[in-house]
Amino acid sequence: MKDKIFGVLQRVGRSFMLPIALLPIAGLLLGIGSSFTNATTIETYNLSGIIHEGSVLYAIFDIMSKTGQVIFDNLALLFAMGVAIGMAKKEKEVAALSGAIAYLVMNMTISALIEINGGVQAMAANSTASVLGITSLQMGVFGGIIVGLGVAALHNKFYQIKLPQVLSFFGGTRFVPIISTVVYLAVGVLMFFVWPWVQTGISKLGTLVLNSGYAGSWIYGILERALIPFGLHHVFYMPFWQTELGGSALIDGQMVSGAQNIFFAELASGSGEAFSVSATRFMSGKYPFMIFGLPAAALAMYKAARPEKKKVVGSLLLSAALTSMLTGITEPLEFTFLFAAPLMYGVHCVLAGLSYMLMHILNVGVGMTFSGGIIDLTLFGILQGNAKTNWIWIVIVGLAYAVVYYFVFYFMITKLNLKTPGREPDDEETKLYTRDDMTAKKTAENGTDNVSALILKGLGGKENLSDVDCCATRLRVTVKSSDKVDDSLLKKSGASGVIHKGNGVQVVYGPQVSVIKSKLEEYISSLSSDDFAGEKEITLCSHLNGTVVPLESVEDAVFSQKILGNGIAVEPSEGKLFSPCDGRIENVFDTKHAINLVSEDGAEILLHIGIDTVKLDGKYFEAHVSDGQQVKKGDLLISFDIGKIREAGFLLTTPLIICNSDDYSSAEALAEGRISAGDKLLRLSR
Amino acid sequence: MKSFTYTIKDEVGIHARPAGLLVKKAKEFESVITVDRNGKTASATKLMALMGLGVKCGETVTVTVEGSDEEKAAAEMEKFFSENL
Repeated sequence: MKDKIFGVLQRVGRSFMLPIALLPIAGLLLGIGSSFTNATTIETYNLSGIIHEGSVLYAIFDIMSKTGQVIFDNLALLFAMGVAIGMAKKEKEVAALSGAIAYLVMNMTISALIEINGGVQAMAANSTASVLGITSLQMGVFGGIIVGLGVAALHNKFYQIKLPQVLSFFGGTRFVPIISTVVYLAVGVLMFFVWPWVQTGISKLGTLVLNSGYAGSWIYGILERALIPFGLHHVFYMPFWQTELGGSALIDGQMVSGAQNIFFAELASGSGEAFSVSATRFMSGKYPFMIFGLPAAALAMYKAARPEKKKVVGSLLLSAALTSMLTGITEPLEFTFLFAAPLMYGVHCVLAGLSYMLMHILNVGVGMTFSGGIIDLTLFGILQGNAKTNWIWIVIVGLAYAVVYYFVFYFMITKLNLKTPGREPDDEETKLYTRDDMTAKKTAENGTDNVSALILKGLGGKENLSDVDCCATRLRVTVKSSDKVDDSLLKKSGASGVIHKGNGVQVVYGPQVSVIKSKLEEYISSLSSDDFAGEKEITLCSHLNGTVVPLESVEDAVFSQKILGNGIAVEPSEGKLFSPCDGRIENVFDTKHAINLVSEDGAEILLHIGIDTVKLDGKYFEAHVSDGQQVKKGDLLISFDIGKIREAGFLLTTPLIICNSDDYSSAEALAEGRISAGDKLLRLSR
Repeated sequence: MKSFTYTIKDEVGIHARPAGLLVKKAKEFESVITVDRNGKTASATKLMALMGLGVKCGETVTVTVEGSDEEKAAAEMEKFFSENL
């Protein structure tokens, strides 16, 4: 049971990777963009000459900021879809669509209930948010995750559902968005009543923190970090940053409330006094662990990754670490180990809390616009001067944090064998695909056009099938006539055995049978559509100038009795052999008297100049193409000396043989008598 | 699985005619029959692949037979090779 929960959590963590991979770029856009469009920043550094509303530079930063912001604003939707994709077993695109639908439905349900109950004014302050233009409860990423997980569960349960005949249109994957809509309508109602209680609990904690000094800073820090996974940190810290919960101060005759507002008012007033630490205690603590601690943790994860995975993991961790350092956006990094190693996240929360407390004790007064990266540290710490901010302590404490994070993380990962990125076991799915790929590759090498085609033929064709299903290792087929089933063809398709029971046929393929089955079904459905996959008819043109000779009349039993296959022959009047179609040279005989080629449509063609001419051992023949070469209809393949060959006592009748005649139902001659190279000669029908 | 090796004695090797006969013979059996020439293999029921091997006189091929009638198939294939190649 424990393993199962752990396994599910790991899959959840892995499913986060898709949306998370987007966060670093979003973070950089937002961090840089918002820093340089912040009125206070612009004013403080006298940049208003080049960056002001209406200037090109301002527009660029503004766009950067907004494009980054839109991703963060809609992170919940990305998670709703991304987690659904990651957790769905099959037909993932349906899960993604359902995730988006469920997320909209849930939020709209909440929105309607808010409206009915008196609108936003009736709700607690800061408890609502605009989600895709819908006024909903502030649920953060957590809202997306409950949608993603729930939809994936519904999807995995119902994507193969069979409904009664009348409703069968709505069965299978189509049922998933439907059931998701219904379920998440109910979830929305539930959330409307439950979530405010969660929010109330959070804000009560806030009050507690404010009244408890250094220890309060510590608890504030722990909670702020611990709430990130639930997307509740905004609900938690915003009151401290923006309301009187974070304190009030009289600055330049104005009453200012909220920690961040106080900091920026002090910054704007430009007085020589130090910044109020009573305000920055809710901010400065971010710097040491964001710039130093977490990147060191990333290094520890990289070092602990399996050697063959290091390259992949390295790029993920490096970009996440840089994002954390530069912009103070830590989610990309934190989510990489949050689910794989919750215990490590716990340790991280405690250390982060400690960082806030240390900054409080050391009187560090560095505020921030958004988060604690190098950009903000430079703007609001270093450039303000150490006298006002004590920013140097951030670096000192930060360096110590780097060492602590590195060793604590590395020790925990290796001792507890935590599955951080690059340490997870290869899952079965990947292996299955690889094997499948190999089969496909093998098939291609053998020149067989399609395993499914072979299976279908072995089963007696599409008309002979009444039902196809599979169990763990066998394809279970009900046929109309078991006489039409060709065991040897089925075996050629890779089956290890064929079992007959009346009209039931079981073809044993092993565990990859589910892949074979789905491919077969795909193939069969492609046949049923009008545009047939691969031509039904192939027309081959004459390979020589000369006279058409029916194959039956060729003076060699191996040809005339069609032992090599069906076809037609031409008695040449000129010593030039041309290609009868577009295709590829499979093999030029060493003796150059014959050539194999495969047409674009898959007909395997043997052109054999003369009878018994193998005995000439290449004399009087000259090949103009080589193995593997692509040729067009009418390309010169081989030239030969008619006179000399006749003198040597050989007949020159040149058959065109279809080696895979079994794949065609008929081969019909289109010409008789004299013919020129390139004229229509033979039509093959499936 | 059964297998045997055979050194080609027919002076022109496995060219079109013997290949055609070989395919005809191989199709009589349920077993999967493979011809291997120095690591390059071809199914004995695929004429073009077989010709593509380009087996010449004096070369040794390995014939592998696998399936429900492999005993009989292997014996008859060996006979076929000695009689025709």
